[in-house]
Amino acid sequence: MSLSGEMIAFILLSLVAIIGGILLINLTRVVHMVIALVFTFISVAGLYVLLSAEFLAAVQILIYSGAITIIMLFGIMLTRHNDTSEKTAGVWRKLLLIAGIAGFGLASYAGIYNLDIPVQETKLHEDNTRQIGMALYSDHMIPFELTSVLLLAALIGAIILAKKDDEKKEGEES
Amino acid sequence: MDLLNSYQNNYLIVFVFLCLGILLPIVALFLGKLLRPHKPEEAKYTTYESGIEPFHDSRIQFNVRYYIFALMFVIFDVETVFLYPWAVAYDKLGIFALIEMLIFVIMLAIGLIYAWKKKVLRWM
Repeated sequence: MSLSGEMIAFILLSLVAIIGGILLINLTRVVHMVIALVFTFISVAGLYVLLSAEFLAAVQILIYSGAITIIMLFGIMLTRHNDTSEKTAGVWRKLLLIAGIAGFGLASYAGIYNLDIPVQETKLHEDNTRQIGMALYSDHMIPFELTSVLLLAALIGAIILAKKDDEKKEGEES
Repeated sequence: MDLLNSYQNNYLIVFVFLCLGILLPIVALFLGKLLRPHKPEEAKYTTYESGIEPFHDSRIQFNVRYYIFALMFVIFDVETVFLYPWAVAYDKLGIFALIEMLIFVIMLAIGLIYAWKKKVLRWM
């Protein structure tokens, strides 16, 4: 494990991602939580850049830290939130949690450390978007068409849910 | 290998730009806090000094219609993302990919027509 620039970048990005995730759970204000989430999304995009997946990184920033965050903000503003903080758990429970996390960390470290993935020489950083296009629209066209069905189902489902809400409201008013 | 190195070095500029973008508001707000005088008074915390007293929480519940617009935005955003690699690789893909993409766009157009018929796009 050499300390190259790539390694340093990976460590920094993963630290930001993990800290963002922890802050997302621990912060009390919802808007602060969303900002922590954005930091996590952006550092995941940085990890994609390190893996030479340039297009995926751009999509990550465009969709996740742009659109999904806006959706979450709308969701927060739509719901009624009375800020009440629950009391924290006892000492024993915290100790058990720390032991569980440490156990999980050790187990996955032991599992991953000696894992040998054969490295292939790839050319992903050259014309990344074109390569994705070639692969997606020749070899993987069935999943692509299924994606359109999935998006259609999401759109219609959202409309049905929200319209039912509206009709109920109108019924209450009249 | 040279190309990979130059690819990664290009992203250093992006990284510097990102750091500047994050640091600029933080530094500006912090310096403002250092420089300005701090003399809090009761009257300074009111919204309008000589107007109607605010009586309600400023954060209100939004109408659910905003959410549908946001959701439709996300869905058509995803559609655009799929269009992009298709457009880049179009000269090598040919007519078959065009038909595929037409099916994809028609699928989403069905959703849009459904939303139109259900009068989601109209505000009232």
